[in-house]
Amino acid sequence: MDAVSAPNALEAKDLDIRFGKQVVLHGFSLSLGPGEKALLTGPSGCGKSTVLRCFLGFVVPDAGLVSIEGATLTADTVWRLRQRVAYVGQEPDLGTGTTAQAIERPFHYRVNASLRHNLDRIAELFEQFHLSRDLLHKDIGSLSGGEKQRIALVSAILLDRRVFLLDEVTSALDRVSKQAVVDYFRGRQDATALIVAHDPEVFSFIPRVILVGGAPHE
Amino acid sequence: MNEIIDIGAWQLAAAYLLLAFPFGIILWYRVPMLGETVVALVRMTVQLLLVGLYLQVIFQLNILWLNAAWLLVMVVVADASIVRSCNLKLMRIALPVFLALAAGTAVPLTLFTGLILRRPNVLDAQYAIPIGGMILGNCLRADIVGIRTFYESIRTTEKAFLQSLAEGASLAEAIRPYARKASQAALAPTVATMATIGLVALPGMMTGVILGGASPATAIKYQIAIMISIFSGTAITVALGIRLTTRTSFTPYGLLDPTVFRNQSKK
Repeated sequence: MDAVSAPNALEAKDLDIRFGKQVVLHGFSLSLGPGEKALLTGPSGCGKSTVLRCFLGFVVPDAGLVSIEGATLTADTVWRLRQRVAYVGQEPDLGTGTTAQAIERPFHYRVNASLRHNLDRIAELFEQFHLSRDLLHKDIGSLSGGEKQRIALVSAILLDRRVFLLDEVTSALDRVSKQAVVDYFRGRQDATALIVAHDPEVFSFIPRVILVGGAPHE
Repeated sequence: MNEIIDIGAWQLAAAYLLLAFPFGIILWYRVPMLGETVVALVRMTVQLLLVGLYLQVIFQLNILWLNAAWLLVMVVVADASIVRSCNLKLMRIALPVFLALAAGTAVPLTLFTGLILRRPNVLDAQYAIPIGGMILGNCLRADIVGIRTFYESIRTTEKAFLQSLAEGASLAEAIRPYARKASQAALAPTVATMATIGLVALPGMMTGVILGGASPATAIKYQIAIMISIFSGTAITVALGIRLTTRTSFTPYGLLDPTVFRNQSKK
């Protein structure tokens, strides 16, 4: 751990998660310091996405604790802690309307209202992720999977969070777009990122790989 | 205007002769609904006869608490029907839906009988029961459409709903687009009816008032007042129905509790 005094940006401790009779995670732990990045990998269905969803309160563990920046996630704290995290899911559902409306939507929420000025960065981020600005006026339903992934990423970046939870965000991207994503996170020394990736070699700059559901993971 | 003509038992029996046409068509085309049609006809006849007898007594007595109790029974029956039609668990949402229905019926009914008709007793059987029934019937339809649309659309677009929570939305903010869609679906039929009323068909209340011996001029005033009351009642009940049921249907983490559905989809 490179930051001794600062609390871990993400921490999971002895997580047990069951869906019905199926044990998804047993005694799973991880911790990421501020600015640290790690890849979460393992066979399909081993619970990688479930780990990310735990940090959002979308899955409540049967045992164990998760915390974000030192605060334990509970039913009381989850609303506050979600404001510290940016999440991009697999095959993101950006709702309905145009791309511009989808990107602006989170800024209508009270907690994000003060961040509205970040929308000025859309053009810059679209360029960085090789997205045409014409897409802003297109219906979100007409976009390709790769375009949706990059737009979801832009939307998450605009929310100015310190911690990123990314679930297969490059799965539908071509080589050039993947590189743009890699370059962005390589440049974000301040951001903590827990990244689920089937192809960890894409994020080869991240040395830390946490295996879920296989060999010892921490 | 003339008094309404009563229908004798034999004359009413003659009305059943008209069934020769639908039954003829069902048999000719072998439409697979003969059994359910017979059951529906028997149920309609028995239910209306019993209600007619009961209402006869209620109208003769015209006691405030008895009228209120009858309206309450109607609300309870409507409540159970909504919960069943929405595929939701009775114990979880019966009370919030009951409150929403009671408010959606009571507010416009009280204003109708008290403010518009200026009845000293707002629960006067002659007015409160038929008008309350019309408002409640529409609230029932609106709640089924509204509540079902609300919960089903959250369930079918769960990813988008969770994304809004992940982006920092409060529960009220996250459910707003779904409540908007549900309200639109629930109110649209009444809006469409208001836009075409009188042109396509003579509405029920207007017909009733005319048959009761009043002039068409009086009948249209009743019809306008009842349409506004229905629209107001449906808006109140749908908004409250969604608002109140969310208190028992979402987890403290803001997730739609899958156990609220009677038939839970397997994940």
